[in-house]
Amino acid sequence: MGNKKLWISFAFIILALFPPLFLSQYWLHVMIISLFYVMMASSWNLIAGFTGQVSFAHAAFSGMGAYTSGMLTVYLGLPPWLGILIGTGVAALLGFGLGYLCIRMGGIYLSLTTLGFSEILRIIITNEDQWTRGTMGLQVPGFFVEYSKTSYYYLFLIVTILLLIVIYKIIHSEMGLTFRAVLNDEVAASSSGINTVRVRVLAFAISSAMSGLAGGFYGHYLMLITPDVPSLGQMFLVLAMAVIGGMGSFAGPIVGSFVLEILSEYIRVYGEYHVLLFGLIALAMARFAPEGVVGILRKKWRREWA
Amino acid sequence: MYLTNGIVIGVINAISAIGVSLIVGIMKVVNFAHGELYIFAGYFSYHLSVSLGVPPLLAMPLSIFLIFLIGIGMERTLIRPTYGDEMYSLIITFVLSIVLQNAALLIFGPYPQKPPNWVTGAMNIFGLYHYGNQRILSFFISIGVLLSIFYLIKRTWFGKSIRAISQDREMAALVGVDHLKVNMLAFGLGAALAGAAGVVLSPIFPVTPSGSSSVSLNAFIVVVLGGMGSLKGCVVGGLILGILENLGAAYISTMYRHIFGFIILILVLVFRPWGLFGQKTQ
Repeated sequence: MGNKKLWISFAFIILALFPPLFLSQYWLHVMIISLFYVMMASSWNLIAGFTGQVSFAHAAFSGMGAYTSGMLTVYLGLPPWLGILIGTGVAALLGFGLGYLCIRMGGIYLSLTTLGFSEILRIIITNEDQWTRGTMGLQVPGFFVEYSKTSYYYLFLIVTILLLIVIYKIIHSEMGLTFRAVLNDEVAASSSGINTVRVRVLAFAISSAMSGLAGGFYGHYLMLITPDVPSLGQMFLVLAMAVIGGMGSFAGPIVGSFVLEILSEYIRVYGEYHVLLFGLIALAMARFAPEGVVGILRKKWRREWA
Repeated sequence: MYLTNGIVIGVINAISAIGVSLIVGIMKVVNFAHGELYIFAGYFSYHLSVSLGVPPLLAMPLSIFLIFLIGIGMERTLIRPTYGDEMYSLIITFVLSIVLQNAALLIFGPYPQKPPNWVTGAMNIFGLYHYGNQRILSFFISIGVLLSIFYLIKRTWFGKSIRAISQDREMAALVGVDHLKVNMLAFGLGAALAGAAGVVLSPIFPVTPSGSSSVSLNAFIVVVLGGMGSLKGCVVGGLILGILENLGAAYISTMYRHIFGFIILILVLVFRPWGLFGQKTQ
């Protein structure tokens, strides 16, 4: 990590400590949700942006994390942190299984199967309502004895920063190098001794585990888990955040998450048009500026920024 | 009875799946907006016949033609720049499916709609049970569509170009196949097939904007089951899925109708990932 980048990151972290001092409860909530989306979009970007595989089960895995942890805490009385740990493990295992089955057949198979998995998970959660409470939502305990948005904000901030550090380390490690080798030239990568399938399955499992973790925290923050968490609508939002912010860059999904989440709060006043609007923007971005907002800014400033 | 239902649905599954398979076969693009095109076709045929008073049998080809045009427009503006970049085509068609789904909600509203039946009544089949005339007619129209698709692919110049491109794009270009034009028409045709399935099935099962994902999913499962790019696979896969889903829904549970499809998908991926009629090497 370059010296300048380190200082910029520090400055952002210091700045991020202050919002609870002046933001209203409502906007603090928006910030917490944004942090959740940062975790989701960044970990999705880890496979899509860095290994070129499109998973449509990212929201589904976060739902696995949320429901696993939620049901363990409700029915077995486990503490939330243990529930989240197990939920993350479940998401990782499922990710590994699906990845192992599909990735050897190519990226198209992964996309198709993860889409199917999302739909099936939604159907199961909606129908098995004696366990999941279906569309009514499952009420789960929170993290803190005394509910406070400020505590949740700092909790989410710490988890998000830790997750981002892990992602940053992965991208800039030898493993990240093989990810990009696989993305840029699969044939060359496999002929220079990289097991492309294994690299991709591993990346997919790691990314799925991360979304399980994010989902677990999300569930214990909302304290009500509904089938919207693993829905394709949620998946679309995460994807749009990464695409609009900039796929394949570290800062892109972070910028995209904050911009889109805050924007959707303003648009919500006029009705549920934000999905349609974000869809059109994402289409235009994918078509004309595949490097996203961050890519555009970077070109403009012509200097290393993130 | 359930078996008959399965066969009728199976044939329509096959039409819808051929639409996906055609596009995957020659362009390596999966059209995630497939189900939305189906839904739009259903709504078009409803509004043409109910709101505008067009006779149902004319509204049908008209809706399919509209969907064909939409498909061509999609290929021309959004898909063409992504050739060779599988990831962006997957992302774009997925986003498109969400956009179209929301647009359908906005334009047509959330209520299920069903175009009027073309025929009424039921007839006795082999003296065993009564079966709705509408379903029987849908079945024969679907068979007709299937036969004309096979004729188009196997016997005409356009079909030869499609098969040439899916086997070897560069060689096809060398011998003078205009692959851009063929791609565009094939994408339009794939869209039109989604539309055909939509107009044939919507008088039986009403369309809603939220029903699109299960349509797409069924088509994808059939394509993987039959083998990507294989037309024969689509027909056999479509029938298998149609029959199993209907028998499963009848004897095990209706709620889990779609889960049988997903189980089939996973089993195929475990035991025969290239599908029933696909090539083993990619």
